[in-house]
Amino acid sequence: MCKDEGEITVPMTNKLQGNDDTPKPPLSREALRDVNDLALWAGQMLLQNGAETARIEETVHRIGTALGCDWLDILVSPNGLLVTTNSGGEFRTRLRRVVHIGVDMAVLDEISTLSHRIDRAQLTRFEVRAELERIEGMKRNYNRWLVAFTVGLACAAFCQLAGGDTAATIITLIASGVAMIVRQELTRHQFNLILTVGGTAFVAGLIASIASVFPVSETPTAALASAVLLLVPGVPLINAAEDLIKGHMVTGIVRGVTGVLISLGIALGLLLAMRLMGVSGL
Amino acid sequence: MIDLGIILRDTFWSGIAALGFAMLFNVPRRTLVGCVITGALGHALRTLLMMSIGASIEGGTLVGAICIGFLSYRFGRRWHTPAIIFAVCGVIPMIPGRFAYGTMIGLIQLAEQGSTAPPAVLLDTTVNAVKTAMILGALAVGIAAPSLLFQRNKLRL
Repeated sequence: MCKDEGEITVPMTNKLQGNDDTPKPPLSREALRDVNDLALWAGQMLLQNGAETARIEETVHRIGTALGCDWLDILVSPNGLLVTTNSGGEFRTRLRRVVHIGVDMAVLDEISTLSHRIDRAQLTRFEVRAELERIEGMKRNYNRWLVAFTVGLACAAFCQLAGGDTAATIITLIASGVAMIVRQELTRHQFNLILTVGGTAFVAGLIASIASVFPVSETPTAALASAVLLLVPGVPLINAAEDLIKGHMVTGIVRGVTGVLISLGIALGLLLAMRLMGVSGL
Repeated sequence: MIDLGIILRDTFWSGIAALGFAMLFNVPRRTLVGCVITGALGHALRTLLMMSIGASIEGGTLVGAICIGFLSYRFGRRWHTPAIIFAVCGVIPMIPGRFAYGTMIGLIQLAEQGSTAPPAVLLDTTVNAVKTAMILGALAVGIAAPSLLFQRNKLRL
């Protein structure tokens, strides 16, 4: 089931229902609204949790058509989704604003699995609604303290890869572990994204400066450069590239700019900390 | 001359880096192993290429990222999950943190010293900035490679 965005006239029936050549029975008004709502909901969760645009389009389209629509059109904007469901000449359109962009791969995994299950016609609309509710209420897979520790360890690993010595690595571990806890707190209190990033980088920079201030390490800059890497905007930048390559220019550009802004936030927080500690960073 | 110790050490630490970010991105538990494998192998391959045939860091990154892309595609099939999970966690160890840091410090130095700054600072800063951009580009192209090759029908623009 492929969605062909390039064609100017979209023949609504025939090829769009995959291998199934028999026309689908038209949905009732309520059913059409319900399908629209479910597809939009799934799309919203994908957009909020770091899916690239092509994935959102495909998945939402698959859910809509598998639940009985003849066709589903979706427009993904960086902070909203527009979905139109068509069935038997009737159509319904709805726009939903989407805020808060984070990263949660477990949600992407669950919704992807769900969409394939619906596609194999194993689920009714009511079961789909229950599943989406469950996915929305899912707890994080990993305890927050464990995450803080492993993220600290990951940054320590960066320090090792960058040629840092043992002292620099240990300082990096502490700096990014503490910074991760700060980040969790700032995120929980819903501070502005750039502010959160800047504050986190500031804390990481303060602690990592110890490697420069005291003569404990031969490679103090490895600690400074590695301690802030927990903030690297990997998902926004990779999604930006993916979107741009696949022709989703608007979302691609916005994600790219988000990534650049986060990077600037990191630089700002780190520089502030280094100035405060009197570290040149050379 | 290839030093196996360095490669193993490299594999270990990049695996750890990928693991940390996999947890940060809240990947499903069953995919953790896959994330560590892509992260460790991609970075180790880059180091191996740079040490054995003297590949540039950009070239090594591109090859490593393409391998991560295809490996993630296989893992996605195997664990029935979006391949992007393995790909994102896999390229994290190759993020050019050092070069980005160098760019930032260099720019600040230029801003402070103005025209009295030694020319080498300008040169270093430019090189760091270009390397950062090229490595990031190589990572992105590498990850996107499988979907560009295998899902052509979805790409008509």
